[in-house]
Amino acid sequence: MTGLRSWLVRRLLLGVVQTVAVVLLVFALTEALPGDAAVALAGDQPDPGRIAALRETLHLDRPAPVRLGEWAAGLLHADLGTSLTSGRPVASYLAAGFGPTLVLTALTLVLLVPAAGGLGVLAARHEGRLADRLISAVTLAVYAVPEFALGVLLAAVFALRLGWLPPTAVGYGDELLAHPAALVLPVLVLLARPVCSLTRLVRAGMIDALASPYVAQARRYGIPGARIRYAHALPHALGPAAQQLARTVDWLLCGVIVVEALFVIPGLGTVLMNAVTERDIPVLQGLAVVFGGTAVVLNLGADLVTHRFVPRTGEAA
Amino acid sequence: MTPRTTGARRRFTLALLLLAVPLLLALLGPLCAGEPGPRAASFTTGGGHWAGTDFVGRDVWRQVLLGGRPVVLTALAATALAYAAALPLGLAGALTHRRWLEELLMRPLDVLLAVPSLLVVLLVAAVLTPGAGGLALLVALVSIPDAARTVRAAVAEAAASPAVEALRMQGETWWRVAVGYAGRSALRTLAADAGVRLTGVLYLVATAAFLGVGAAPDAADWAVMVDRNRTGMFVQPWAVALPAVLIMALTMGANLLCDAALGRGPRRRRPDRADRTARPDRPAGPLRPDHSSGPPHPAPRPGPLPGPRPDHLPATDDATAAPGAGRTEKSSP
Repeated sequence: MTGLRSWLVRRLLLGVVQTVAVVLLVFALTEALPGDAAVALAGDQPDPGRIAALRETLHLDRPAPVRLGEWAAGLLHADLGTSLTSGRPVASYLAAGFGPTLVLTALTLVLLVPAAGGLGVLAARHEGRLADRLISAVTLAVYAVPEFALGVLLAAVFALRLGWLPPTAVGYGDELLAHPAALVLPVLVLLARPVCSLTRLVRAGMIDALASPYVAQARRYGIPGARIRYAHALPHALGPAAQQLARTVDWLLCGVIVVEALFVIPGLGTVLMNAVTERDIPVLQGLAVVFGGTAVVLNLGADLVTHRFVPRTGEAA
Repeated sequence: MTPRTTGARRRFTLALLLLAVPLLLALLGPLCAGEPGPRAASFTTGGGHWAGTDFVGRDVWRQVLLGGRPVVLTALAATALAYAAALPLGLAGALTHRRWLEELLMRPLDVLLAVPSLLVVLLVAAVLTPGAGGLALLVALVSIPDAARTVRAAVAEAAASPAVEALRMQGETWWRVAVGYAGRSALRTLAADAGVRLTGVLYLVATAAFLGVGAAPDAADWAVMVDRNRTGMFVQPWAVALPAVLIMALTMGANLLCDAALGRGPRRRRPDRADRTARPDRPAGPLRPDHSSGPPHPAPRPGPLPGPRPDHLPATDDATAAPGAGRTEKSSP
């Protein structure tokens, strides 16, 4: 048990270090601006008043460690600062974009696990036959396609040519759930890559598990096939998949940015892209800390889950 | 056996074809693009432009011919740059006997691995507005952690072999042991990984360009074309569909080819190896020792088991694994 505990402690420590690294990295942004950040941010027509205001907002007159300390202290109190362009608090930006993004990601995750599990088991049961070959080929092909290319083509076919679905979510604002038709394409695009990778993992794990001695033994005992598949073989196959699910979160964050831009959904991704184009550093920093922190926490969670399912993976961690 | 090999060959040809079309267009397109014609109205079809015009009235086909090169070259450069940094890092991490050095080299990468790569690219881009070269550098930077871990894991396997110990005892130089033996024996794995990495980098480069990073807003670039011509999709779908299909073919072809090439390897058991957790096979024992409802596990008797699997017989290569080899295999997909 000591091995498990020391692994846990080390994994949690790594999580803490990762969070600190995200915060430092994000803070380094303003430092990375060439010259004086205020002058760089003021744009092509530097207006002395604006530069002074920027300097005031960014507290550039104080040394960097002090600013880092203040910013980090603000983070602990959930105070993310104020926007450079509008003067609104960053937290209000986050609150505004949170709803649509949550709807998108939650829907995707809810559909992802059963879809990938079902396809993976289906392919593994028919290993080498048509269903398996079809699923393997399609998942492999779609796996690498960028979301924007897939999304644009799906929109061209299903929204423009066939007219079945709305091409964008313009005008629906926060009431996305009231317009499920507008959600079909975004969720489909978000699902594409994660489903492919998870399906392949589940399939490989299932094939391994179904060929293992313990499944053979279970068959000899006369345990029904469905119970062997779902109660004994599938948990084995889900171990590596849980790990992959953490990676999926990385993709989902990327995917959300692209999908929101593509289908004009006013979520966190849109807020992020607006901040990037307007070089609104405080908003950018706040979003980056939230996104990065989420990724770190979810990675940690997935590692813990994997550890629970497949205890041996942690042996050497 | 025969249907399998013909199937594999067919897949290989299909992948090659799928990749060849966009790749040839990207590399040779600029040579036959010709001079820019006069600008026409935006988003029109016909009138000498068989694929229509784009959002500022340029010929779409000419833009398509020109637009593949930045995507492909940036991705290739980024992959090469990532390996240029990851190879020495991974080699040193795998071959050193000093634990602290290994920790110093590999731990910071673990920390970086948790941050979403596109987020880093966007953050840096917001501050520095990089060009195509900057984008390549940036994408290479975010690919280094993963690449270095793969290199380290692949080399560590070779580094634990008796041959390396023998070379060391003979007093061979570090360079010969590292590059001449360990690096060379890991070459297959690394080549496979480079293919996988390239598809990932292609994805990232194209997505970044779509979001407006590393390319001018009116650049001839397939990803930028998709973005900028979206507004006219109702009247002129070709300006969007053509580059989008080409990007799809490029990424799909690269991934399929990579997989087909992997499946051909003599030591690969299954073509989807690249997708699986790279852990060494151990004797398949009970995975969840706590599930009491499961069947009892008798001592492994190879005899009567249907389909005894030779690779599950006593795995000696497992026991000789490098002291830290298990760690990297924890989460590399």
